[in-house]
Amino acid sequence: MKAFINGYESSSCVGNTKELMESIYKQQTGITIDTSYMPESPVGLGKMKYNDFFESLNSIVLKVLDSSNLENFNDTLLIVGSSVGGMKESEEHYFKDKNYKNIDASRHAISVISDSLEKEFNFCDNRSISTACTSSANALLLAKRLINVGAYKNILVVGADTLCYTTVCGFYALSVLSSKVCTPFNENREGMNVAEGIGVLLVQDEQMNNSIELVGVGASSDAYHMTNPDPEAKGAMTSMLNALRDAKIDAKDIDYVNAHGTGTMANDAVEGLGVEKLFKDVYISSTKAITGHTLGAAGAIEAIISCEIIKQSNIPAQTNLTDPQNKNINIPRKNIKQAVKYVISNSFAFGGNNVSIIFGGLN
Amino acid sequence: MSKKVAVNIISASKIYAPKKIEDLEEKRIVPKMIIRRRLTRNAKIMLYIADKCAFTNGKIVYASAFGELQSTVGITDAILNKTQISPTLFQNSVYNSAPSYFSLLNEDKDEIITISSGKNSSLDALKTAALQALISNEKVLCVATECLDINKIQEINNCTNYLEAGAGVVLKIAQDESGAVDIEDLQEEGLIDSLLDLVKVVKMWERGSTKIFINL
Repeated sequence: MKAFINGYESSSCVGNTKELMESIYKQQTGITIDTSYMPESPVGLGKMKYNDFFESLNSIVLKVLDSSNLENFNDTLLIVGSSVGGMKESEEHYFKDKNYKNIDASRHAISVISDSLEKEFNFCDNRSISTACTSSANALLLAKRLINVGAYKNILVVGADTLCYTTVCGFYALSVLSSKVCTPFNENREGMNVAEGIGVLLVQDEQMNNSIELVGVGASSDAYHMTNPDPEAKGAMTSMLNALRDAKIDAKDIDYVNAHGTGTMANDAVEGLGVEKLFKDVYISSTKAITGHTLGAAGAIEAIISCEIIKQSNIPAQTNLTDPQNKNINIPRKNIKQAVKYVISNSFAFGGNNVSIIFGGLN
Repeated sequence: MSKKVAVNIISASKIYAPKKIEDLEEKRIVPKMIIRRRLTRNAKIMLYIADKCAFTNGKIVYASAFGELQSTVGITDAILNKTQISPTLFQNSVYNSAPSYFSLLNEDKDEIITISSGKNSSLDALKTAALQALISNEKVLCVATECLDINKIQEINNCTNYLEAGAGVVLKIAQDESGAVDIEDLQEEGLIDSLLDLVKVVKMWERGSTKIFINL
């Protein structure tokens, strides 16, 4: 069975999916310079607007349900990808009480997201994935394979992560945070912007009028270093090649690479090298200068961006590009209006975990 | 709707202790001290289980409900006490640290998926491992660990008598369903729920049941 993306919605520091795409095409960032986590060290962060993260998540999932051909999610598998789960709530209790007594262990775990959605929507089954920044990309990978083997007809993929002290201060300790809006692929880039976000996609075995096909998925491990990517880009290239093989298409068929493009020195250099080696003249840009890096949610949010790029036939310019480090890759400085048949979206994570996903237009 | 597949259990192992598992054969399994010192407890248990299952390379599905609690606690304590966060603690804090160390040590460049489904973590890992075996027709390591041995864990622990635990199997899609059985309800008193389903399969394997059904 083929897998089709038949509905989606997102929330990030620039708003919903419509606002997200407008921001991307107008190059209007949602990153703000923040001192609430580290008063003496301003960093660029992508903060969502919400009163309650879980209520916000429920309303986005409800939107996807309302726009689908389903009456409910009773015959739908839920797959959640998240890197921090309920960490934010645990931190709040721990910093206030200085002990664990008021921490609910089940609300600390990654599965707090699926538990919360299960209560609200009653899915037929659910599972949660946590592979750091590839979490929801891996959720999409599994969704495609489960549809392909005929195990499920409907799968809801959710990527969701909140900002918390552990990730903001942790990335700062690694010296990879930018004090301004990130500048992916620039020669003098400073680092990344941590962000929060939610991406929700309905994957089904049935093609609809507005479907985008989930054409190919690929993954690999670098087996090189816990945080630094393989400098020869072997792992990144393997995951992209595996996705191309799964999609049964050639590298020349890809119109656009939605880059992981975090803005860190290591990631962008390696990803650029991998794309340079694999593709010829393909357009590549990163949307993280608009949304920031939404960690475990990034794969799902950038899957939605990839679908929109195909539907709008409009390849986005690289925001904040002034002096590209890699002159051998084709980074657009303005939006390119053209038919887009195939987009490949990359997600890379700690531990050398790599995932690439190919989306295909049907018209 | 779901799909049931029959898998052969090729090898299996389990280990748990009330506090700290004493002999994980770390020096033999990871001879280089510089790497061994960086490993998390979950990684050491995972490497031990993989070794006992004679698994050296291929697809891995790893599961943990609570992940790298010791690293996470170290980071939150540093934030609370306004001390410097160790970069190693942060890189070790992600849920996929343990299988990533396996990948590094064994130069395993294959796919790694980490499941964290609360109480159902090891059951969902078995489902995912069966899917990975089905799409690849390769053997897959399915392994789950929990390490809850942190200071003052008694303030929050009401779910297990074993603060360190791990279980794993190597599985492969069976050529036919003959003789395959469903996972038996073999309880293990005091064991954390997130490992229970995988431990049931290990126990079945120990009793001679090597072909089981898994619902994808």
